Parts: sequence; structure tokens; C-alpha cells
Amino acid sequence: MQTSSSEPVLVLKDIRKSFGAVTAIENFSLDIRPGEIVALVGDNGAGKSTLIKIISGVYAPSSGSITIEGETVSMASASMARAHGIEVVYQDLALADQQPVYMNMFLGREPVNRFGLLDRRTMIAETEKLVKELDVRIPSAHATIRDLSGGQRQGVAIARATRWASKLILLDEPTAALGVAETAKVEAIVQSLKSRNIGVLIISHSLDQVFKLSDRICVLRRGKQIGLRNTAETNKNEIVSMITGLN
Amino acid sequence: MSQPKQAATPLSTPMERPSLLKRINLQQYVVYLGFLAIFLFFAIVLRDSGFLTVRNLSNIVLQTAPATIMAIGLVFVLSAGEIDLSIGSIVAVSALAAAVTINAYGMVAGIAVGLGAGLAIGLVNGVLVAYVRLPSFLVTLATMGLFAGVARSLTDLRSIPVTDSTFTGFFGSGALLGIPSLVWWTVIAILIGHIVYRETRFGAHVLATGDNNRAASVSGISVPRIRLAVMMLSGGLAALAGLLYAGRLQAAKYTLGETDLMTVIAAVIVGGTLLNGGKGSVVGALVGSLMMGMLNNGLILMGLSVSDQMIVRGLIILAAVAVSLREKAR
Amino acid sequence: MPRLLGLSALAAACLIMTSVFAADGATVGPHGEKPTPAASITLTDAEIAQIKDGKHSAALVWHEMSEYTAAVDRGAKDEFAALGIEVVAQTDAGFDAARQQADVETVLAKKPTIILSLPVDPATAAAVYDSARKADVKLAFVDNSPAGYEHGKDYVTIVSDDLFQMGSKAADAMAAALGKKGKLGYIFHDADFYVTNQRDQAFKKTIEQDYPDMSIVAEAGMADPARAEEIAQGLLTQNPDLDGIYVTWAEPALSLLSSLKAAGNTKTKIVTLDLNEPAALDMVKGGNFAAIVADEAYNIGRTAARAAAASLIGKEAAPFLVVNSLAVTKDSVLDGWEASLNKDAPESIVEALK
Repeated sequence: MQTSSSEPVLVLKDIRKSFGAVTAIENFSLDIRPGEIVALVGDNGAGKSTLIKIISGVYAPSSGSITIEGETVSMASASMARAHGIEVVYQDLALADQQPVYMNMFLGREPVNRFGLLDRRTMIAETEKLVKELDVRIPSAHATIRDLSGGQRQGVAIARATRWASKLILLDEPTAALGVAETAKVEAIVQSLKSRNIGVLIISHSLDQVFKLSDRICVLRRGKQIGLRNTAETNKNEIVSMITGLN
Repeated sequence: MSQPKQAATPLSTPMERPSLLKRINLQQYVVYLGFLAIFLFFAIVLRDSGFLTVRNLSNIVLQTAPATIMAIGLVFVLSAGEIDLSIGSIVAVSALAAAVTINAYGMVAGIAVGLGAGLAIGLVNGVLVAYVRLPSFLVTLATMGLFAGVARSLTDLRSIPVTDSTFTGFFGSGALLGIPSLVWWTVIAILIGHIVYRETRFGAHVLATGDNNRAASVSGISVPRIRLAVMMLSGGLAALAGLLYAGRLQAAKYTLGETDLMTVIAAVIVGGTLLNGGKGSVVGALVGSLMMGMLNNGLILMGLSVSDQMIVRGLIILAAVAVSLREKAR
Repeated sequence: MPRLLGLSALAAACLIMTSVFAADGATVGPHGEKPTPAASITLTDAEIAQIKDGKHSAALVWHEMSEYTAAVDRGAKDEFAALGIEVVAQTDAGFDAARQQADVETVLAKKPTIILSLPVDPATAAAVYDSARKADVKLAFVDNSPAGYEHGKDYVTIVSDDLFQMGSKAADAMAAALGKKGKLGYIFHDADFYVTNQRDQAFKKTIEQDYPDMSIVAEAGMADPARAEEIAQGLLTQNPDLDGIYVTWAEPALSLLSSLKAAGNTKTKIVTLDLNEPAALDMVKGGNFAAIVADEAYNIGRTAARAAAASLIGKEAAPFLVVNSLAVTKDSVLDGWEASLNKDAPESIVEALK
């Protein structure tokens, strides 16, 4: 566990979400501290995506509270979540393929100069600084997304989230579509986020990855929170049996 | 921009910055090369037929001015991943509405009504596309027919003369500082169009919307607003083209603009704008439009029969479009 | 039909004139001109030689290519060739006045001495031909001339059909087919179109004046050619015993033909205007079509070209020249095709006649 002195960036308390008669999530509680990576695991349909959507403001919970740095919030849209410093890296990236890296980095939040024109200089400089810090290897900030490899694209997507997230980054299967080498690269980037003092919630199917990256593991099964373990104090067998419900 | 230097790690191969040759994307310059090639061809073949006279070359610019203005609108629409087939009908409706109003209430009212009509049709298209979520191809296919009908019924097929000489001078036959007003309109529209497209957040959001509307949406861009805006922009520019036609012809008629749609689409595509969004060029559209005009002009001056003109023009456009679109299929 | 669409553009210009036509027993030019036979324009060998020496050139600026325009175009080209005048450009405005304006400007780069043209929109054509007028090019028009242009000063002449004669010949052909007696149906063009109105009214007038034993008992106006079939159907339902039906032009007449065929009617005769292959084929095969009245489109082109050339050597043409028309029947179809369009009748018709 992290030092108790740092206040959690995100506290979820008794979150419940139902769609009509179907309950997708019940009694879910979790807190994430700055610099901490929490993994969310569970089988398909366990409710991971629903949970991500609740945290990113796409769905409102049916009951329960969301607290960000001590302040209880209700988020009606994705842009409100963004305003609270929460960024999402989607499984399918959400990058504009034919635009350059730097435009993607600032998509929807482009800085302008005093004439109201795009401030490309700032965008490019910041992009180059950030990709360098995160060691995302792209040819240049001018490169078109289409010309990048899957790993490079994921790197750009994470860099973008890093640029804007002040509290929390949600990573939804960040390496699902990547090869071995690229996965390792992206994992290195995720690891490096710890030093930025923001919380990371990662969804992954790969238990190897979960054990490599996370500080704590939260297991979901059929919408229920089965348990929360410190990664250092558990093992794969325990997690697998929690996911499947078999001993 | 300098590439961040870093040591290679076994995990990933560092990428070199592409060579200069590769970075100068040929596709991007096809329209300019094509324009130059066609120009040189006509200049040689028609050297004794008046092609190179200042008069003839300026005719090409003047004749293509309305199509160029429409093309600017279409660059925005296509870049946003939509299409506007109704621009020809908007030209006719706006020109007629302006002409009737000018004759009754004067020039200023006429301009306002003409442009207003274009914006209003753009609004109708835009709302149906952006908020009712109908495909723009079908929406504007329908409004194209609808407003062609409106143009016909507006004045019962009659032509409306425009005698206001201030108007015809301002929009058609006049000149300022020795430069024809149509050239001014073209230059100003291209300049503003280019800056808005390339240098503003709106332009960036249009491109993002056409490129990946989900990415645009999760990035906080209001995709419906962008869609509405491009349809209205297209309507407004088509209306301006209608005013230019009316000014030049000193009359408005329901047939104005009817034959322009295909020319404008061809000009925009040849100019490097993708048919399905995310990439385009306003300056390319200008060159594409001039290329279409030059093609019409040169083929007539070559003394070809009308059918031969159509065949050759079709083949050249096909070749140009093939070259400008080929690369994106990779 | 394409022809009529083109001329529909004249409607606006001719609203005022329509009443004039109706009152008169002869074709009147678009600006009230008296018609002069096309044959009045002649050139002597010496004059032809003089024209040839001038090394002139001509441009053909059409409103829209169609069978009619193509025939006029052929006539003009043949005449120009005979007079040693080079045709340097040919354009098609696709009914777009703005494009016609551009076409005129474009062909001027070749410095033609003559432009032959059919204005898309006479009411507003002044601006279209302005550049040519300023360049002192001899303008000769087909069917109509720009409003405000002055004959002799701004243009050479207008060459057109003798519209009244066409309608009148249709009446004569109908009378011939029915033995000068019988009950007639009359499907006219219910729109303010200069060409069709004159022709329709001439038919009606001729029947009323010249054939006392024939009477028009049923009239139907057709505003939209697309609805021709419904209108024909309605006329036949109410009047199943008509001896003959006049239809304003050939394509709606084909709709009538299909209605007659559907009703098993082989007796009612059809007379219409403008040559058309399916109609002519029915006529040749002894069907319902009795006669088709055609204009000498080819001759319009020849006449316009000759008049324009004559003006180059100072010979003035009358303001409104009209060519003849002819009623084509089964027996005269081959010659008629040749005379009207200056080309052989279609294969299908030649075959059917064998």
C-alpha cells in the first residue's frame, strides 16, 4: 500500500448501476491513490466496461457516490470527467488517423494564439517534450497516426491522457491488439506513469501484465466485487479462482 | 521541429525520420503537377489559337469563380465526412431569390435574402444530417431535387433580369484596382477558407470529425455542431456562387448551377480532398477548379466536337482522380 | 422532346407574344417579325468566291446537343464547308445560360468571324453574347435572339421553323388520313411554350377553317410530358370512338399509342410532330400513326450559315427566316428523313419497309 498521507484521487463508494431490471454493478467500492496502479480484472461481462463508463462520466451510477480528491461529484458527461482530471485510453484508441500526432495530442483542446489561430508551435513543442519523457518512439510530432505502428499509437494515446489527466487515467485493455515487443514497450510507459503522481486504473485480461504492473488487484464477477488484494500478497491462482468462482 | 534523440532499446526499433523524398507526398502535389501538365499541353498545342492570351486565361479564372467558391464549401463538407449534393439547387434558389428581391427592395436586401436562402437550406440539410442522423448523401440528394423544384416554381420558370448596376458590378462584371470583382471574390474566399480550414480550431474539429467521429466526440468536440456548421457553410458559399452567377449574367434562372455539381466534386477530389473525410485542401480545390475550367476551355479551342470534348474531359478527370486517390488505398 | 425542352427556355421571352401568334394565321418571329422563306438567301458564284477569299471562321455555340441540334449543326457545317469557312469550335451549354456565356467568351479566343447560336435563354441572353457583340462577330441565331438586340446591327438573322405551317400541315395530314371527316381528339401542350403553342393552335385553326366535316370533340392539355399516358388514357376512356387524335409532339404520342394498343384499338389515327423512330416504325408497319410532321432542321443550319456568310460581304438577310416543313407518311418516310435531318432513316424503318 501507498503511504496513508496521500489522499485518494478517487473514491468509489457503494456504486450500483442497473439497466432496467438488470443489475450490472452492485456495491462496488474502491479508492485509488496518487502514484498507484490498480488493476481491474474479471471475466467477460463481469461489469468492467460499465465501471469504466461510470468513472469516465458516460454512465451515471444508479446509486452510490464518486469522490474526487475529497470532493463528491456527479458527472453527467465525459467532458465533466475530463474537467475533473480523469482521462480514458480506449481499447480502440480514439485517435484521428489522418491527423498528425500533435493534433491528436490536443484533439478538442487545441491552444490558440491571440488571433484565434491554432498555436502549432506550442502543440508541437509540448508533444515532443511529452513523447520524449514517456519514451514513446515516434518519428516526429508531425507524423501521421496512420503511419505509426500499433504500439506507437497506443503510446500516443497514453501520452495524450498523461498530458491532460491531473488525477486519474483509465486504461481499457491497452495492449490487447499489440505484439510482444510493443506490449512490453507500452507496459514500460504505463509503469512510468507512477512517477507522475496520478492514479491509474487498468483493465487487462493478461494476469502476467496485471502482476507486473499493478499495486492492487480488484476482482469483479457478475457485477459483484469479489475482492481486493495487494498484488505483492497474492498469487495468480488466488486471482484466477476469484475470477472464475471455482476453487 | 526536431526529432527527439534517444538510444535504441531492444524493445522497439527507433524510427528514422523519413527521407525528404518520402515526406514530399506525391499525392499532395498531383493536382499542381496535373495542372501544369495540362497547361503546358494546351500552351503548346493551342499556341496559335489564342489559349495563352491574357484575355483567355483571365476568362478561365472568371468563369470558374462560382465553382471555386462552391468547391471551398465542399472541401469542408467532405472533410467532415459528409457530402452536399444540393449545392447546385442552392445556387439557383439563392440567385433567383436575390434577383427578385433586388428588383423589389434593392441590392442590400437582395444580397441578404440570397445568402439567407443558402444558409437556410444549409440549416435544413445540417439539422437532418447532424441531429436526425440521416446520411448526408440521401438528405442532400432529396433536397437537391426539392430545391430544384422550388427554383422552378419560384418564378414559374421565368428568368429574372438583374439591372442593378451596383450589384452586377460588385458580383459580376465590375473591377477594383483594375482587377475584376470575380477575381477578388475568388482570392478572398480562398484565403479565408484556407485559414479557417488549416489554422483554426473549427478547421481542426472538422477534420477530426471526418477522420474519426468517435475520437472527436470523446475528445469533447460536438460532432453534431460541426456537421451542422459545414452544411450551413456549404449552403452559404453556394448562395454566394449564385450571386456571382446572377451578377455576371445580369439575370437569374432556375438552371443556374444545375450542371456544376459534378465539376465541383471533381475539382475538390482532384485537389486532394478525400471523399470520406479527414483530409483535404482548400488551395488544392482552387487549382482543381481552375484545372476543370482550363480543360473546358482548351478542349473547345482545340475544335473538338461536343461529344469528343466530353469523352476527353471524362478520361482526364478519371486519370486525375485515380492518381490523387490511389495512394490512400494502401 | 429535347428540342422542346430547349425551347421551353423561350417561354419567358414570349409570354407577351403568345397572344399575337394566336390572332394571326402565320408564324411570327419572336419579336413580331414577318416570316421570310429561307430560300430568299441566295449567293452567286462570285459572292461565294468573295466569301472564300475572306478566309473566315465560325463557331457553333449550341444550347444543348440533341437530334435537332445535331441536324442543324450538320447543316451549318456543310454550308460553311461549301463556303470555305472553317468551323473552329463547337460548344454545348447543357441548358445553362451561365455556361453558354462562358462558351461564347471561350470561342472568341479563336477569333471567329461568325458565331452561330441557339440562345439558352433569350430573355437574359444580352449578357451572354455581349463579348461577341463587342468583338464585332457576326451573330446568326436559331429560333430566337437575345432581348434588346437589334436586327442588322447586333445580329444577322433568326432562322426557325415555320411553326404555323407545321401545325397546319398536321391538320392537312389528319384530313387526308380520315377522308376529311370525323371526330378528333386534341392533346395540346398546356404551358406557355412558344414553339408548341403556335403549332397546336395552327392545327386547331386549320381544322376549324378548312375542314367543316371534321370537328375536335375532345381536348386535353398536357403540362407535364411525364403524365402523358394518364392524359391519353383519360381521353380514350371518355371518348372511345375518336377517329383521329393530334398530339403536340412525338414522345407523348407514343404514350397515347401504348394506351390505344392496350385497348386493342387499331382504328384511331394519330398525327404528331417531330420525327421519332418508334413512331415512324409504327406508321410504317401500318399502325395507328398516320403522319408525322417534321421540320427541315438541317436546312435551318444551312440557312443560318449562309445568311451569316452573306452578311460578311454586306448582304443583309431578312430578320426572320423560316424553313419548310413536311408531313411524313408511310410512303414518304425515307425521303422525309433525308429532307428533315439530312441522314438516312434508321435501319429498323428501312427493314420494316421491305
